[in-house]
Amino acid sequence: MFTRILTFLIFVAIIGCIMYGRKVIRTEKVNAVFGNPERAKGGTHWIIVGSSFILLIWLYYSWDIAKSLYPKSANELCQVGKVNDSLLALKYMFPIEERESKTASIIKIENKNLDKFAIEVKKSNIISDQNRQILLRLIEKTKKTISLLTNESLLDNQTKIKILELASRIDQLSMEFQKNDYPYETEEQKNKRLKEAEEEGEWGASGTAIENTVEIPTIPKTDKGLKFHSAAEELKIISDEFFKLKNHNFQYKSTIQEINDEIKKFENEINNDQEITSTYVKDILQIGGRIDYASIFPPNSLKEFEQSIINFEKVQKNEQGSLRLIDIFLFPAGTIVSSGPNCSEQGSGRWLPKLSDTLNKFVLLLKPSVGYKSVPLLWYEMMDVSKIIGFILPDWIADIIPGKYPVHNENGTVEPNFKSKTLDIVSGEFSLFKIPVPMGHIWDSFLRVFLGLVLGIIFGVPLGLFMGLNRFAKGFFDPLIELYRPVPPLAWAPLIISVLGIDNVGKIFLLFMVSFSIMIISARAGASGTQLSKIHASHSLGASNWQILRYVIFPNSLPEILTGVRVSIGMCWGTLVAAEFLAGTTGIGFVENVAKKYFQYEVIWITIFLMGVLGLIFDVTLRRIIDKTIPWRGKG
Amino acid sequence: MKKIISFVLGSILAFNLSVSVANAAAKEVKVAFFIEWPTPNQEDKVKGDYEKALGVPVKWTNFANGGAMTDAMLAGDIDISYSQGLVPFINAVKAKAPVKLVDIAMEYGMGGTTCVTSNKSGITKANAKELEGKKVAVPLGTMAEYVFDESMKVVGADRSKMEIVQMDPEEGAAALVAGDVVMACMFGGNSIKAATEVGTRLLTVEEARAAGIMGIDIVSVTDKFMKENPAMVKAFIKVSHEANVRYKAGKSDMDVIAKDAEMKLPDAKETIEGFKFLTPQETKESMEKGNLSKFLKGMGTPNGAVDTSFLPL
Repeated sequence: MFTRILTFLIFVAIIGCIMYGRKVIRTEKVNAVFGNPERAKGGTHWIIVGSSFILLIWLYYSWDIAKSLYPKSANELCQVGKVNDSLLALKYMFPIEERESKTASIIKIENKNLDKFAIEVKKSNIISDQNRQILLRLIEKTKKTISLLTNESLLDNQTKIKILELASRIDQLSMEFQKNDYPYETEEQKNKRLKEAEEEGEWGASGTAIENTVEIPTIPKTDKGLKFHSAAEELKIISDEFFKLKNHNFQYKSTIQEINDEIKKFENEINNDQEITSTYVKDILQIGGRIDYASIFPPNSLKEFEQSIINFEKVQKNEQGSLRLIDIFLFPAGTIVSSGPNCSEQGSGRWLPKLSDTLNKFVLLLKPSVGYKSVPLLWYEMMDVSKIIGFILPDWIADIIPGKYPVHNENGTVEPNFKSKTLDIVSGEFSLFKIPVPMGHIWDSFLRVFLGLVLGIIFGVPLGLFMGLNRFAKGFFDPLIELYRPVPPLAWAPLIISVLGIDNVGKIFLLFMVSFSIMIISARAGASGTQLSKIHASHSLGASNWQILRYVIFPNSLPEILTGVRVSIGMCWGTLVAAEFLAGTTGIGFVENVAKKYFQYEVIWITIFLMGVLGLIFDVTLRRIIDKTIPWRGKG
Repeated sequence: MKKIISFVLGSILAFNLSVSVANAAAKEVKVAFFIEWPTPNQEDKVKGDYEKALGVPVKWTNFANGGAMTDAMLAGDIDISYSQGLVPFINAVKAKAPVKLVDIAMEYGMGGTTCVTSNKSGITKANAKELEGKKVAVPLGTMAEYVFDESMKVVGADRSKMEIVQMDPEEGAAALVAGDVVMACMFGGNSIKAATEVGTRLLTVEEARAAGIMGIDIVSVTDKFMKENPAMVKAFIKVSHEANVRYKAGKSDMDVIAKDAEMKLPDAKETIEGFKFLTPQETKESMEKGNLSKFLKGMGTPNGAVDTSFLPL
């Protein structure tokens, strides 16, 4: 229902906005000529069209539209899939969906193998001439068996009759299949089936668990589905019978017998040390076995059989009727496929989860009690303020207080003294009052990026300014920075993880390295780009060096610095996810990596969206800050 | 505007019709396997026996974990996965991947897959409760995770109270050596060797066996390949079982196997001795009512993922 309304709204929005856009184009008097950036201003309606389009493509390719418009289509297509599954092996025999028949391609391959093998035997200088002759004769004989199988006049009458019988069974099925009441189900059977189908549930992922559950009900729910279901069962029997059928006519059997006898005799003659020869013999037997197993028939003997299959294909495609159109238009880039007792979505519907399912799972993930791997996405926990105090105050304060830490007394208790009480305070071992602090995967990722960025700014900006203004600093730090800057940040990851560990320290340090170099470059460019006239002017007005730095150079480089911050946020974000992939217990990258292991496509997409949205929030916030704090940007 | 619309419609149509064109018979078979995981059939792999048995070239690709094997199978880059862990296979089946289990590569005790605690932490089976609240490296979604879960049940520690770090075996072993984690679960001979240098197995091989913890590695194929080339699947399984018979008879060339597994000869020998290779008959029993079927049921696997018809009985 939700999807149906959404699809409708999207269509209305797209059409409405396009019409509005065209109207605006017609009525608006624009003075700007082509090339003037004024022409790109405004246009909220195009934003709506753009985002609606993304949603529409998502709904379409995830087959969500199909699900909302025809919720039973998956079940019916599953039955069609069963028919295809039963027919698949037979179809591979004939050039129905292939370029050449399988028999032809096997014969081609085996002839080639035998020729190659014969050449190998001829060239081999390890085996004796006598053995060589025997082997070549065996190869020649094996090759002949193929022609024995493909010779029409040698085909057994019995086999011929059996093939015709199977063909007529398929024809019979095609006839029955077109009747309305096929497969003649009784009322009782019908009720039973419908009840079972009811219990099996509807098409769609479960909204109550993060794990994957049954997606497509397999028991036919509709009469059309039942038709296909029964036909599939019948076809499976026919197919099995056909593949049991072997074209082993008298001449072929006797030739095989001859080859086997000869090999036995030969193997008795050759000594054990002639290992090469015996492997050759084994190889001949293997090729013979492959020819034996492949269903090779004379080229024209299966004509009727092939025709029956093609006929049935036509009939079943006709019977699909509107379902076929639904399959083509509403199940783009794939379809529902049956394999064994299960049906599954194969194609874009498998890896592109439905919008409604994804939203369900997202709501589920957001619940702090569920979360992912028992950590919520974003929630809060109560933390005692004492922990913060303990973190800020260094522990050695307690150590430098004169006296000794208390020792246990005779009563078996430990009396705290002033020194131990101080230790409790500086290590945060006391209770004050609790405040809520955020926690969870999103918060952890955010915090890592934020800390990496802040550290990069704190260290990078002063160093960059210094390098822009001082010859020594520029010369001293330049080779260092320029050498490490071009290295892709992830190249550091294995090293940093083994030196600094898999905890936050390593990840934050990695992000610091990313933002540090960018901040240096941008601060340096900003400092050296200050107009000389401004500096001269402030000198003439009597400004001190510090004042020039603080009031002229720094404000001048701020636009560059803030652009650098924006760039480094993007880089940090990209690096963070990859770093969390390597080792981690929390973070969005961790969630995605684990979801991948369990093929939870919904969760993977949720993490991708979260990353996009968080990156956007970062960027928008920063743009706001830039606009507010440096109105002189681009005007100096 | 018209141009844009026709372009969009055209590309949608093109994408919708991008159904792959199949070939009549495979011209090449792509097989996935593990290094550090010595198996008798590696001798056949090196000597080219598989090519001879299948009649077409065989391309072997090694993988770090079974989940990646499934990924590659879904993308059409792999036809057969040899010795994929049962857990990644089950995850794949639960995620509706069109793959089938056709053979058991081997059953093994904790020799090949195990959890190692660092000696520094002082944690052993007796005080395993102390693992709670500490960091533990586990390659999630693999057999090692299963072994981890089962071991925790045996020692009575609560998994949900630990901080589980997702790490592949090599990384997990490195983290244990560096002291970042107090326990690492892993598979693969070299990783276990590196880990046991600074730690000890939480459960010994015998203890694990007594507790009924056992790993199963399987052979899986894609549905498409199975339907198109049943003869090749059959031939592949046959060669593997022949190699197992040869190994049991003591006729395997361990040097070749160890070299192909990228292990030292004694390590390879030790690892392979921990494997139990089943005969086709035993395999069938295991698949129908034995260990494998119990395992699948225990993990809630949908029916129909197992096919016994390719076994050389």
